[in-house]
Amino acid sequence: MKTVINEQQRRNFVGEVESKLHDKLAKCYQCGKCSAGCPVNFEMDYTPNQIIKMAELGMIDNVLNSKTIWLCVSCNTCSTRCPKGFEVAGIMDVLREIAARRGIKSKTEKEIQTFHEVFLDNVKSNGRIFELELVGKYKLKTKHLFRDMFLAPKMIEKGKLKMHSDKVSNINQIAKIFKDFE
Amino acid sequence: MKLAYYPGCSLKGTSFEYEVSLLKVLEALNIEIQEIPDWNCCGASAAHNLNHNLSVALPARNLAIAENSGFEEVLAPCAACSSRLKTAKYEMAGDDILKKRITDSLEMPYNNSLNISNMLEFLLNIAGKEKIKSLVKKPLSGLKVASYYGCLLVRPPKVMQFDDAEKPVSMDELVALTDAVPVDYSYKTECCGAINSLSKPDVVMALTGKILYDMKEHGADLVVVACPLCHSNLDVRQREIERKYAEKIGLPVLFITELLGLSFGFSPKELAIDGHMVNADKVLEKIL
Repeated sequence: MKTVINEQQRRNFVGEVESKLHDKLAKCYQCGKCSAGCPVNFEMDYTPNQIIKMAELGMIDNVLNSKTIWLCVSCNTCSTRCPKGFEVAGIMDVLREIAARRGIKSKTEKEIQTFHEVFLDNVKSNGRIFELELVGKYKLKTKHLFRDMFLAPKMIEKGKLKMHSDKVSNINQIAKIFKDFE
Repeated sequence: MKLAYYPGCSLKGTSFEYEVSLLKVLEALNIEIQEIPDWNCCGASAAHNLNHNLSVALPARNLAIAENSGFEEVLAPCAACSSRLKTAKYEMAGDDILKKRITDSLEMPYNNSLNISNMLEFLLNIAGKEKIKSLVKKPLSGLKVASYYGCLLVRPPKVMQFDDAEKPVSMDELVALTDAVPVDYSYKTECCGAINSLSKPDVVMALTGKILYDMKEHGADLVVVACPLCHSNLDVRQREIERKYAEKIGLPVLFITELLGLSFGFSPKELAIDGHMVNADKVLEKIL
């Protein structure tokens, strides 16, 4: 673990996180309440309060490559319970976005990251989610072709999997939104 | 008041049962809703995970179309959709620059004036308990029902502004109107694992299993939800959880609108209850 921190890099990183978060990292006094209530803490490499402190310390690589930022499911239990009103779930969104923009691919949680990417691509091309296409593309990308496939026959029998897409008519407007904000 | 309906993608696909049942129930309550013309996906978890501005802009298009069509109120029955629409409204109220960028991109005027309701809010505020109670023709007496709220109906409270974030009661109140017995248990607002169902199934099954076994231990006959993703994790994954932990659960998972529909006298078939993976016939024999 890197222990000597470049102060200028640290300040730049904190500035970037705080401006996206609209909140101050120093607000967190490390009580750990967020981590205590986190439903996925058992899978994480760093607890949520550790992530906040590490971001403040400028441990950029550790934070952006952590499992934690991708495992967070945004259930918002942490933000709801935080005695300081800090945006705990919000910082996970910010760190994921920064990681994605820097082209960092999660090594350990690449399936979660890939699912989100494939999902957004689906919205971009159809305006709405076409579930069959979403699952198909996700499986091709992750090569988990057979996982969960045992569910498919019954889901089709129950009418849960639609075979055709239902696109937004004004798909140009969707394309424009992506162009303006991607 | 003109009431808009934002179905979202799940209600047109894997959770079609939710749409079928809510349309039946609202028709019985004599409440007219109209689908937002040419609505688009709210961006769900993926957008806010990867791109904050997009996660506001995508739902904003739906809100702008609804507002410009003269609606004042939007029903978003999917908990994730209602959470994204409410969050977009909240973010635009606090960020004039982003709001302007979005309205410029959409080329539509937009005042951020709409009220957005999840299914429970809509039923309690627009229909009201008395009217719902008056339509109960077939009391579900003796049926023990666990209400599962999950995350997004109540959290974060400053945005959702609905019920109590740690101990919600609204769904239990609706259950009680049908004369069924609300079951008290520990994990009403614990996360089911949500969108990671396909990308992290083991974690999702651990979370969902904990919730389902707890409901079972507290004597539930069935579960009600107001979220397609919660439904999917609790219903579609249930057989696999039973196999993984080698212990039977056998808890049918209904949408709250299906439970109300049964008490209004609709048949399980009319409410698409046969569309669920866990068969509800045996449990419903008790009351029908």
